[in-house]
Amino acid sequence: MTPQAIGHDAIPAPILELSGVEAAYRERVVLRGIDLAVAAGERVAVIGPNGAGKSSLLRVVAGTLRPRAGRVSLAGEPVERLDRMAIARRLAVVPQAVALPFAARVEEVVGLGRLPHEDPFRGQRPSDRAAVAAAIERVGIGGLLGRDARELSLGERQLVLLAMAVAQAAPVLALDEPTVHLDLRHQVDTMELLGDLNERDGTTILAVLHDLGLAAHFFPRLVLIADGRIVADGSPEDVLADDRIRDVFGVDPGFVHRPAGPGRSIVGGGAALLR
Amino acid sequence: MATRSETLGMPRAGTGWLEGARSRPGALVVGGLVALVVVLVLGVGLGSVTIAPADTLAILAHRLLGLEVGGTWTPAAETIVMELRLPRVLSAMAVGLGLAVAGATYQGLLRNPLADPYVLGTASGAALGAAIGVILPIRIVLLEFGLVQILAFVGALLAVTAVYRFSRTGALAPLTSLLLTGYAVGSLLAAGLAMTMYLSGANLRQIFFYLLGGFEGSSWLQLGLTTPIILIATAAILVRARTLNGFLLGEEAAAHLGIDVRRERVILLGLASLITAAAVSISGLIGFVGLVVPHVVRLVVGPNARRVLPLSALIGASLLAAADLVARLAGGIPVGVVTAIIGAPFFLILLRRARTGYEL
Amino acid sequence: MSPFLTPRPIGEGFRVPRTGHPARSRAGRLVILGATIALIAGACSGAATATPVAIPSDATASVAPPASATPAPTPTPIPAATFPLTLTDDEGTAIDLKAMPHKIVSLTPAATEILFAIGAGDRTVGKVDDPSKYPPAADSVPVVATYLGVDVEKIVALGADLVVADHGITPPDAIVQLRRANVPVLVVDAKNVAGVLDDITLVGDAIGAGPAARDLTASMQAGFDQVAAATQGLAKPRTFYEIDATKEIYGPRKDSFIEGMIALAGGTPITADPGASSIPLEKLVTADPEVIVLGDAAYGTTVDGVKKRPGWGVMAAVKTGAIRPADDVVITRPGPRLVEGLIALAIAIHPELAGQFPAGSPVPSPTPVAS
Repeated sequence: MTPQAIGHDAIPAPILELSGVEAAYRERVVLRGIDLAVAAGERVAVIGPNGAGKSSLLRVVAGTLRPRAGRVSLAGEPVERLDRMAIARRLAVVPQAVALPFAARVEEVVGLGRLPHEDPFRGQRPSDRAAVAAAIERVGIGGLLGRDARELSLGERQLVLLAMAVAQAAPVLALDEPTVHLDLRHQVDTMELLGDLNERDGTTILAVLHDLGLAAHFFPRLVLIADGRIVADGSPEDVLADDRIRDVFGVDPGFVHRPAGPGRSIVGGGAALLR
Repeated sequence: MATRSETLGMPRAGTGWLEGARSRPGALVVGGLVALVVVLVLGVGLGSVTIAPADTLAILAHRLLGLEVGGTWTPAAETIVMELRLPRVLSAMAVGLGLAVAGATYQGLLRNPLADPYVLGTASGAALGAAIGVILPIRIVLLEFGLVQILAFVGALLAVTAVYRFSRTGALAPLTSLLLTGYAVGSLLAAGLAMTMYLSGANLRQIFFYLLGGFEGSSWLQLGLTTPIILIATAAILVRARTLNGFLLGEEAAAHLGIDVRRERVILLGLASLITAAAVSISGLIGFVGLVVPHVVRLVVGPNARRVLPLSALIGASLLAAADLVARLAGGIPVGVVTAIIGAPFFLILLRRARTGYEL
Repeated sequence: MSPFLTPRPIGEGFRVPRTGHPARSRAGRLVILGATIALIAGACSGAATATPVAIPSDATASVAPPASATPAPTPTPIPAATFPLTLTDDEGTAIDLKAMPHKIVSLTPAATEILFAIGAGDRTVGKVDDPSKYPPAADSVPVVATYLGVDVEKIVALGADLVVADHGITPPDAIVQLRRANVPVLVVDAKNVAGVLDDITLVGDAIGAGPAARDLTASMQAGFDQVAAATQGLAKPRTFYEIDATKEIYGPRKDSFIEGMIALAGGTPITADPGASSIPLEKLVTADPEVIVLGDAAYGTTVDGVKKRPGWGVMAAVKTGAIRPADDVVITRPGPRLVEGLIALAIAIHPELAGQFPAGSPVPSPTPVAS
């Protein structure tokens, strides 16, 4: 059973919209003057140096960080008016890493993704279990069934978290650095999976990536954040102009190969350096 | 992607009966209920005075069900069974149930396998309240609850409220802050307890007996007042099993999965603390039940709170009632000693089997 | 985890019974008691009701009562009209007794002694475990309580119709449970010597042995008076009664039972500060006791051991060697042998009185504590 995007064809308005957003942790301002509109079915990568505010942007979108100014709306509703369950049905987040205090099997962790859907008292319905199985299959971790998630490698754990978000079957999928611990092959597989979710199911993807090459190759739209502001927003060619790379990342643009077409090898570049 | 499965390792084969048990939660519940009934019958039938089993059953049938099954028994036997043993066994079950559920809740909420119902200051607060109740020269008896028990209940709740309030300030993550504040407040209250014990003079022994915990003073009225609190709060936690599951990966992940973290944290903490306070007010401080029972249950059925909570309740009730029976038959040793003797080795075994998967 | 705090060392009256008590000379004590009674009986020649104190009715024949004493009386039958009866115990609880109790349980060693002393030994069906095993007649009474706790079930199964408990010794839970099982519990709490006499009378009335109890208290009072007379003109040395000094120094508190005993025995008691349970060594040195009475002699404390203690050498008592072992059981037990205890204490403080009270004080030979 494939997850269905809710309202994919019905709403031409942006599924995700931030206007004039300013956010801070205590006194430290992390985002200023953010204007961002994402249409349903888009695939957007958020890139930028460390500490630029990428993860904070995700938190604002998910409603776990309340902005000091500006408005955030998710599927047409202002986020502050939605309760957490309503947000969870609209947006699934793949976190960077989690810690497990107790032994939990892979399928149990993936099953957590069905929390917003399952019966509050009786738990998972057969449809939920099927969704879990489908998500595991789709992410390709069937071989890990029955294993204690705490015993997996970091890369395997990341895939489990990805499967959990897939099982959540929300129309918007946000990912915070989902490829950090993955080897090259799995990085590509993950990107292809995201593409599949986007093209086949119409899921809107918003991914924070540190790898410029991956971002440029797999995402038609890049949003470049630096110092809490959106510095560029557009196609990889526009965003990854030479002078921009020099200004924002402080490295020789020769380090980053821009893709010219299919079949070119991707180099991860390690481009996320602090200025 | 079809070839990926092979590269990511082989699935672990389930180990025999453990797997079988895990996949049949219904059978486990039935097993738990059977254990409960067995412990109840043994607890009421055995004691320092020998009463023929037939007489015991006859007394129970007569008094509880109104059935006349014949047989003769002395009024003393009837008093022993109905006034001494039955309320005691039921009290032990209520407290065991409550402590196990509270322990499971705290562990799930604080995401700490070492958490038990006393970790946020409830034990120290109850102990200090009880000690003050012992040394105050006032005699209040409210519905058979003496000053000691009332102050123990109040002390437990005040302590955990204080811990919660103090932990909200500061920049630490809420869970870390709760645990550390719990430790600090608990230490402060323990110092107060030491001072009170020093000043207590001849009443020291009474305080000491409270600290050890026990069911010697069980009565129907006390049971009737605390059991509803324990059961209703337990039910309220049970319906929140989904929330507890959500907390498994952390508070942020829980929020993303749809849990209103701040509200649920307060509610779950409050319910678990209420259960703990009610339990310690009639039983004193009995350790290990709240810590070990949820772990053992998780070993068999996994971390799903929908299974862990009810099974912990059943196992906790049976375990504490059985421990109380052993304590009685061994000559009246404190029940806290029995639970420690059972619990400590279990805990060490758990530690040996624990994986180091808890890293950030 | 549960914070099991180690309790502080126990204060007076709560020493956990240790095993390995030295043998006690029961016959010797009975002789003293009998001799005292003889003295008193002789002194109070005018008293018409000079029935001697009831020696335990099963006393062995080794005791030769003085010539003027009549043999141990059998319990006098009580007219049924005195029951039903309502008494108030020392905690202020009203105890209703419908009939004369015939199955009495004693939860304190003192109560056991009292019951046997007033002729109710044959009605005693249960007792608390007493390492000092007195009176010997009580050996056959089944044990229903130890320092670990009270076996409420056994007491109920015995059909007890009266239980005598002590406020400081009996766990309150047990008292509550017994009362809930409709067993009357009489709680005594003697705070001083006069209180002991009151409690003996109270217990006597409760079991329908009022006259025997009053006889006992009268003779005890006479004994106390005699000791007071003997010590009247004497100087009252500063006396420190040592309860325990293995770690901290424990002595009597102000307004405590032992303090009262020392005063009656002709000493000036050195007490701990109110609110404190131990005495710092500096305070004791400043108080400079002239006599040290070793209430812990039975638990391994020796005179030489005390002399060797660092810092104790400056005390007058240590310099003059006025360190006297004593039997803490008779001195602190609120029962019929209190006179014996008072005499022992008086002799320990004023050794010159030993001649007035024959056969000396029953001093246990100190033995090391069995560990």
